[in-house]
Amino acid sequence: MKVIASYSIKGGVGKTAASVNLAYASARAGNETLLIDLDPQGASSFYFRIGPGKKQKKGFFFNQKNRLLKNIRGSNYKRLDILPANLSFRNFDIMLSSMSKSKKRLKEMLALLEDEYDLVILDCPPNINLLSENVFNAADLILVPVIPTTLSERTYEQLVRFFDNNSYKKKKLRPFFSMAQSNNKLHRQTIKEMESRHPNFMKTIIEFSLEIERMGVHRDPVLAYANKKSAAQAYRKLFNEVVSSLK
Amino acid sequence: MKLSKIRQSHYLLPDNMTKKSFLDTLGQEFVVKQVENTFEKMAILDSFEWALYEHRILAVRHDNQRISLWFDEEDILDPDEAHTIEDINARTQFWWQLAESPERDILKKLLDLRAMYPVYEGLLRTEQFNLMDNDGKILVFCQLITISRPENSRKAVFRMARLIPITGYKAQSKQASELIKSLGGFMPKLNPIDSLLSALGVTPKPFNIKPRLDLDPQMSSREAASVIISIMIDKQRQTEPGIIKDIDTEFLHHYRVALRMVRAAVAQLKEVFPPQDVIELKQRFGALASETNHLRDLDVFILDKERYMALLPPSLRDGLLPMFNDFEQSRTAEVRRIARWLASRAYKQEITELEDRFKNGYSALETHWSEQPIINLAVTKIQKRYKKIQKAAAKITHDTPDQDIHDIRIDCKKLRYLLYFFGNLFNKKQVKIAGRHLKALQDHLGIFNDLSVQAEFLENYLDEIEHKSKKDIMLIASLGGLISSLHTMQLQERERCIDALAVFSNKENQRLFKQTFVLEQGSKKEKGGRK
Repeated sequence: MKVIASYSIKGGVGKTAASVNLAYASARAGNETLLIDLDPQGASSFYFRIGPGKKQKKGFFFNQKNRLLKNIRGSNYKRLDILPANLSFRNFDIMLSSMSKSKKRLKEMLALLEDEYDLVILDCPPNINLLSENVFNAADLILVPVIPTTLSERTYEQLVRFFDNNSYKKKKLRPFFSMAQSNNKLHRQTIKEMESRHPNFMKTIIEFSLEIERMGVHRDPVLAYANKKSAAQAYRKLFNEVVSSLK
Repeated sequence: MKLSKIRQSHYLLPDNMTKKSFLDTLGQEFVVKQVENTFEKMAILDSFEWALYEHRILAVRHDNQRISLWFDEEDILDPDEAHTIEDINARTQFWWQLAESPERDILKKLLDLRAMYPVYEGLLRTEQFNLMDNDGKILVFCQLITISRPENSRKAVFRMARLIPITGYKAQSKQASELIKSLGGFMPKLNPIDSLLSALGVTPKPFNIKPRLDLDPQMSSREAASVIISIMIDKQRQTEPGIIKDIDTEFLHHYRVALRMVRAAVAQLKEVFPPQDVIELKQRFGALASETNHLRDLDVFILDKERYMALLPPSLRDGLLPMFNDFEQSRTAEVRRIARWLASRAYKQEITELEDRFKNGYSALETHWSEQPIINLAVTKIQKRYKKIQKAAAKITHDTPDQDIHDIRIDCKKLRYLLYFFGNLFNKKQVKIAGRHLKALQDHLGIFNDLSVQAEFLENYLDEIEHKSKKDIMLIASLGGLISSLHTMQLQERERCIDALAVFSNKENQRLFKQTFVLEQGSKKEKGGRK
């Protein structure tokens, strides 16, 4: 079982779109896939038409396998399951900080799912806190969507510094350009500069696209309703790149 | 989740259920959306031996365009779980006609030289429905699978609903199954493949050329011999339609194997029949076998074409092609001749007459052995045959003529048949070990023999060529190369035969045969049987 995270300190950069489409591509490729919606806003769950899970008693999430499995919902697609966002995820940080080994709890919990899934995708909330650090420990690969603008660039470098300062494995970090506009000169320039500074960027670029924006209307992955469009092809390419990086 | 797959369920539905009532009933609790509806010609494929059925595999050919395979019986006819082989047509029968794939490798193992052909042909309708809530979230996947006869597509002969639950929606899947039950749906008692075949009126009859005999040790020897011969004639006859239709080469091969066992029983148990009858039976069964010799030789050559080509350097390979073309042409003519022969009144009369003679006990004058218990005859025959092989093996040196090795091969074959006939009269475990040792030896002897038969066949073919054209000269060169290759291989195999013979006749195996094929165990078994 491999774990990948879709993570960024900034919001609105295409994390959820990436999570949802990669999860779908993974299931289509024959992998038993679980998408864990760690974002209390529950956007991933919304796209798959799954309501928020029941409110859970404090502390359940990280230790009991049966209760964990009970909260998993199958999506409309075979081999693709969702652990829906739970409103109590809001208090993760408080909950985690009261526990021992508080930065490895998520990793321990995912170990319980080892026999059930080939791939787990974590759709993370936008901030940097104790939950994020759990993600850094648990994931084999951390995808970071970056909009090719100066501000996003600075945020990404902030994350790299955080990894340096806290000695997290930097090679897990795999940024990719998201919502890029090929007709925007500034975008093109930023992409060029960042790629030369950070050779760990994924080759695939997810262009800004109306098809992706329409996900909220369709409530389905782009790959499901616009399989042949360029946006879908880009996500498929990204998934293949993820697979080969995991090997 | 990997766990969730296990819980799918299927229901057989009444033939007269309408689709409207199906949809209305499910519609009571769910928003029902049909997502798939295919209607196509279908054929269930299997081999004469029912090799796929025996391995719980279902193969379906759709519209003569592709084959679906289901390796897990629970998934049969589920389009999402099918392993598909594309680019086939109605005449695709053998694994080697398929494009390379993991599925082909599995079929290769199961079918070997066998053809797969339709055991049922009909029409298949596959409908998939999503059972959803008002938000468009799917709660249960549902399939409705209908098979009807080609001549009456409106009347279902098989109708199955499959519910595939979705993780986290257990209650809804239970609800759906209640609705299906209210339509008269029920869970079949048989496992899925059997319930499908039985609904279609297809009864699998797996064929195995090896006789499964369980003779009573005290049965009279003549009766036992008649039972054996009857069973083998029956097997022989089962292969006839396949030879006539030329489905695959195994039919003729098995026809000959069965006939060989009949002849072995007549010759080896000759003491139970009057001597003049033995001479007559040998002659009559022998005549049947020799009719088929030429076709079998051609089959063996053509099947081994690739191997022969590989024995030659590339420059000589093409030289062989005219010979194989010749063989193919002769084969076509020979198949036709054999088919006519098997269908002829003369053949039918002959075989029925022979069959009838053994069917209800062979009536003729008593002989010294005919009324003695079969166990006595079995022990005598097996011990004698083993000792003969053992003695011959002791005399073998590196200078022994090939003919002596061929004679030992024939003795081994006779011993093999005795084990087929009488193995069950003795300790099964020990018989199995003895059989395994014998098999190891026979494998080498068999290769040795094949190589010399093939070389001889080629030499004869060479004699017949009128070497005039350049093409013929190339063929002669290729044949020369091939015959010398075969000769080298034969010399190597000879050494292996000698080694294997030494093992088969060593002290340990002598003891094994001595202890296994004895009267005492037979009588013990008899006591057990009477209790």
